Amino acid sequence: MTTGSAIDGRIYLVILAVLISAKNPSFVVAAEAKPDKAAVEFFEAKVRPVLVKHCYECHSEKSKIVQANLYVDTRDGLLRGGDSGPAVVPGDVQSGTLLEALRFETVEMPPKGKLPDDVIADFAKWIEKGAVDPRDGKAPTVATIDFEAGRKHWAFQQPKIVPPAATTDKSWARNDVDRYVLAKLEAEGLAPVADADCEQLLRRLSFELTGLPPTPEEQQTFAADGSPHAVEKVVDRLLASPHFGERFGRHWLDVARYAESCGKERNIPYRIAWRYRDYVIDAFNNDLPYDQFVREQLAGELLPDNAQVSDAERNRRLIGTGFLVIGPKSLTERNPEQYTLDVCDEQLDTTCRAFLASTAGCARCHDHKFDPIPQTDYYALAGIFRSTENVPGVKSLLRITSYPDAMPLDGPQKSRSLELQKLIAEWQKKLTDAENFNRQANKSKDPQMKAEATQRIADVQAKLLELRNEAESDEHGPRFAMAVRDGKPKDYELRIRGEVDNLGPVVPRGLLTVLTNENTPKIGPQESGRLQLAQWIASRDNPLTARVMVNRVWSHLFGRGLVESTDNFGLLGDKPSHPELLDYLALRFMDEGWSVKRLVREIVLSRTFQMSSRVDRGAFAQDPDNRNLWRFTPQRLEAEALRDSLLFAAGRLTLERPYASTSLSLTNLELGSSAKILAADESPRVRSVYLPMLRGNVPETLSLFDMADPSLVTGKREVTIVAPQALFLMNSTFVGDQARYFAERLLASSDFDDAGRLELAYRLTLSRPPTDAERTATLDFLQTRKKEIGGATTAAREAWISVCQALFATGEFRYVR
Amino acid sequence: MQDFTIQSGFTRRDALKSLATGFGYTALAAMCAQQQARAADSNPLVVRPPHFKARAKRVIFMFMQGGPSQVDTFDYKPQLEKDDGKPAPRQDVGGDRVWLKSPWKFAQHGESGLWISELFPHLAKQADHLCLLNGMHADTPNHAPATVQWHTGSTNFVRPSVGSWVLYGLGTENQEMPGFITVNPSNAFGGAQNYGSAFLPAPYQGTRIGGSGTSMQKVTLSHIANKRWSPDVQRRQLDLVQTLNKQRLAADGVNGDLEGIIESYELAFRMQGAAPKLMDISDETQATLNAYGINDKATDNFGRQCLLARRFVEAGVRFIEITKDDWDQHESLKQKHADNCKATDKPMAALIADLHQRGLLDETLLVWGGEFGRTPGTTNTRSKSDGRDHNADGFSMWMAGGGVKGGFRYGATDEHGYGAIENKMHIHDLHATILHLLGLDHEKLTYHYAGRDFRLTDVHGHVAKEIIA
Repeated sequence: MTTGSAIDGRIYLVILAVLISAKNPSFVVAAEAKPDKAAVEFFEAKVRPVLVKHCYECHSEKSKIVQANLYVDTRDGLLRGGDSGPAVVPGDVQSGTLLEALRFETVEMPPKGKLPDDVIADFAKWIEKGAVDPRDGKAPTVATIDFEAGRKHWAFQQPKIVPPAATTDKSWARNDVDRYVLAKLEAEGLAPVADADCEQLLRRLSFELTGLPPTPEEQQTFAADGSPHAVEKVVDRLLASPHFGERFGRHWLDVARYAESCGKERNIPYRIAWRYRDYVIDAFNNDLPYDQFVREQLAGELLPDNAQVSDAERNRRLIGTGFLVIGPKSLTERNPEQYTLDVCDEQLDTTCRAFLASTAGCARCHDHKFDPIPQTDYYALAGIFRSTENVPGVKSLLRITSYPDAMPLDGPQKSRSLELQKLIAEWQKKLTDAENFNRQANKSKDPQMKAEATQRIADVQAKLLELRNEAESDEHGPRFAMAVRDGKPKDYELRIRGEVDNLGPVVPRGLLTVLTNENTPKIGPQESGRLQLAQWIASRDNPLTARVMVNRVWSHLFGRGLVESTDNFGLLGDKPSHPELLDYLALRFMDEGWSVKRLVREIVLSRTFQMSSRVDRGAFAQDPDNRNLWRFTPQRLEAEALRDSLLFAAGRLTLERPYASTSLSLTNLELGSSAKILAADESPRVRSVYLPMLRGNVPETLSLFDMADPSLVTGKREVTIVAPQALFLMNSTFVGDQARYFAERLLASSDFDDAGRLELAYRLTLSRPPTDAERTATLDFLQTRKKEIGGATTAAREAWISVCQALFATGEFRYVR
Repeated sequence: MQDFTIQSGFTRRDALKSLATGFGYTALAAMCAQQQARAADSNPLVVRPPHFKARAKRVIFMFMQGGPSQVDTFDYKPQLEKDDGKPAPRQDVGGDRVWLKSPWKFAQHGESGLWISELFPHLAKQADHLCLLNGMHADTPNHAPATVQWHTGSTNFVRPSVGSWVLYGLGTENQEMPGFITVNPSNAFGGAQNYGSAFLPAPYQGTRIGGSGTSMQKVTLSHIANKRWSPDVQRRQLDLVQTLNKQRLAADGVNGDLEGIIESYELAFRMQGAAPKLMDISDETQATLNAYGINDKATDNFGRQCLLARRFVEAGVRFIEITKDDWDQHESLKQKHADNCKATDKPMAALIADLHQRGLLDETLLVWGGEFGRTPGTTNTRSKSDGRDHNADGFSMWMAGGGVKGGFRYGATDEHGYGAIENKMHIHDLHATILHLLGLDHEKLTYHYAGRDFRLTDVHGHVAKEIIA
């Protein structure tokens, strides 16, 4: 074991710890030094023949199938051991699996029957004397991870600036983004298409930045603005709009697998998860530096300056940790250890995918099959999450119908609020008393007493629920958040093959080896390590964090990331189409204070973003996927943007943020029909981001158009085009209603004739006036319908409803292009 | 702002013609000839002739998500019984698991004498229709990539689903229903990728009915009727929509998504007439409902799926997938495998008998299986011996009808049922064989995309000719 070799530092530490704990550490040296002759003879006479005869069949290089990854045909193999740890620890007969197995204490080896006691005694003696073993050579490495080689993977290297190659076309590029894109295009023998016209550009900017179409007034202002800064003005207006956070916040909520219930087999609502939703939206609106956004979500309540900031700020940070607890949970899991490990696993997997685009969660049962992530790394990270307590507001057992385990938020309260807080505390005590009484009742086995106890608990819980509901629906009341806090910090055992009761060696809490160096923060014995995890991810030193986020932003703006696999930057992920551009953006993102708004601004002000979506046949034949960015790829509107657009055209969209979420009206019990009713309720006029998001009950208007499954980390949504979507737009009550409101809105103004109404209708749906052909076709249809129906008022209304719905149904309505 | 000229009444065929001259015919000709021919059809779903005489006209895929255990169902292993409790090797993760004999008894059935476990008493009566595939293997024992491979051939890339390939190859007989329907698919394990068309045009995408966990009793096609307008008025409204769409398409030149949307409206409109009737099973006799186990709690859900599958088959739907999930028994094997088999046994047997009686079995290929099988050894020794781990190295599937030999067993695993050793059949081979039975050469059914011809079977696939009747 030479220092600086490519072995896993943590495995090294584990082995070292085991060796130091051995009774006679000098044997460690003895095993490495030249063995003495008598000891070798003892081995050859008493040990080797037994190993050959009874063990080699399954535990040697020649074995057809090697059991438990254990090789006993070399010294190295015995010392390294197999799945269950080292087989032999020289000088320590208490450790190592070999003697245990021979003694039939744990597993029973050899399988054909226990060896005679004197043979086992020989093994004990041999181990006690230092396990001298002349058999040199390395045991075959079972997928040992080579970190040096692993670090060579592009994503694990520090981003660096590589200037774009000089281009032949000197006039096209507007900023550095363009210079990188054009260099690649020219290298591929392609050229960018023309710029988008101003109507398409405004529609594109409005949807991409706010998820809303431009109003007719905005369209007119933009068209009339002849200044060279017209686009910049629009971009800055949109970035400053509160709808920017709703748009980019929703993108993040996809990644954070945000939902307001626990999902799985017993679906319990997360009635206060909406605080995290609002936290995310506000973070994007306030352009919270992304590194701080990362730190808050992982360790908001642990940040070093928390004592110096206001109550409100501290609360905000605490709410951010909701990221860790809003995941899907199996609340009925009966094995508490299994439950804890599953929750940690979900947190670990989400954290690694969301911030690092790493599938480290795959290393739960074995070393990662593709990436340089050993199973020990998984358990090092899992130890951090295990040392953390979840206070999600629901208990793992269903008996508690309220959320005593949510985190109270700090801050001054109104008098009724203070009163409520006192009352809640009192009733909380009564609940404890009732539970104690219940325990006595159970012991007494008196049926009457038991019935009374059950009733008493139910009554207290009902009262508590009532009080909490009152408190929670008061904006200034005592409030609670789904959050985390540090528990008892401790290192935990690796689980062999991920099995809950199959304990391996204890793994010290730590981070991913392949991404750590001497600057990586160290975890103290008295802390969970969550703060260090947050600092390590939110660090310039981490080669993934900035790249992953700029790629997410790019992916949202262009419909495809520079790295297509937005949630996997590992060896099985896609390679970047423009690696130098990705690095440039990542470095610039960090230099600009991790500002998402500045990043978005730079990208959308590029000529690359402002290209037309027109198809050039030659380029299409060569690059149909537009990997090289020779045009702007049209994008299907996300489900939310589509629903919002329908309401927008109908004049029915409320742009204000509602307080809380309608899921607050659900009782803290398993979701049933009430959740279905809530999800099916099409009356709310709020933006779609504020609709109740219950796992398994996603509103149909959203799920039909590929809303992200709220149980999975989703960097990029699917886009399907299927007949049920057509049926929805043709026949649903929701769309029919919006068409009716839309028609009534158009008819409300007597200033317009039908041609004028049609222009307004086009501007409200497709953000442009109709072409001549479109005008002719649509007005013809309108007049024909009017004649058929007869009766001026009814005819106009019915005919216009039909036209309005037809506009909703056009393919273009569903796209930005 | 308009950078194109609108010609009213412009059809897609016209558009392609004008584009061919406008953009240089060579560029267009460089695209695959077959693809061009298909694109030139105004309806991408029109019936197309197979490459050679087909044995089957359509497919019912019965996907058992989670991985049913072969050694408890269709792969009889006396040696496993003898070695019960002895250490069981497993190469990929190592381990100290032990062999676990099947808790269920096997017996021979039918004239063919196929060995089938007592978990399938009804299906066993159809033994002489079954073609057991005992030598299946796949690339990965992880649910998501294995499920995606089962459906698309690839574990990690986004590729068209087998149903999309079939639809692309053959079109569909009933223009009033989707040609590819998937009932109650899972949201997870690849989700929509499992019935997606990837780079194939959007009309070849599967249409989902219901979703995982949906009760079949409640499954309907939403929004299937319009309350405001008569079909005639709605048709004219739709004509306006399509006129506007086609003007847009003409302006865009190439817009696959828009073509997909145009087709989706036509299909939706036709479905309004056909689907409600097709999905309403009230015209079935009580005897039929009973045979499929409908209205019996244990079998109701899958029974309805099987009956719908038969109705879709009769209506000429090309590719139908039905799903039973929850086969992942790392523990509680005895209880849950028994439940799962009970839920599916009677309905599947009824489906085979019903198709046979209606003379449809010969031309309908049934395929049953999960994304992989399970280990003949325990999940681990310490969690008691009532569960099995994932196993992609050897597992069983079966086919019936559609030109395969009935009462036939093809392929074998080793003495314990762990790895396939004889007449091994990879998922690629399964796909190649399914296409072959449909009259399609898996090496010739290609789609030119991003400079290369893609196939369902990539560069793999071997047709198991031995199983063809």
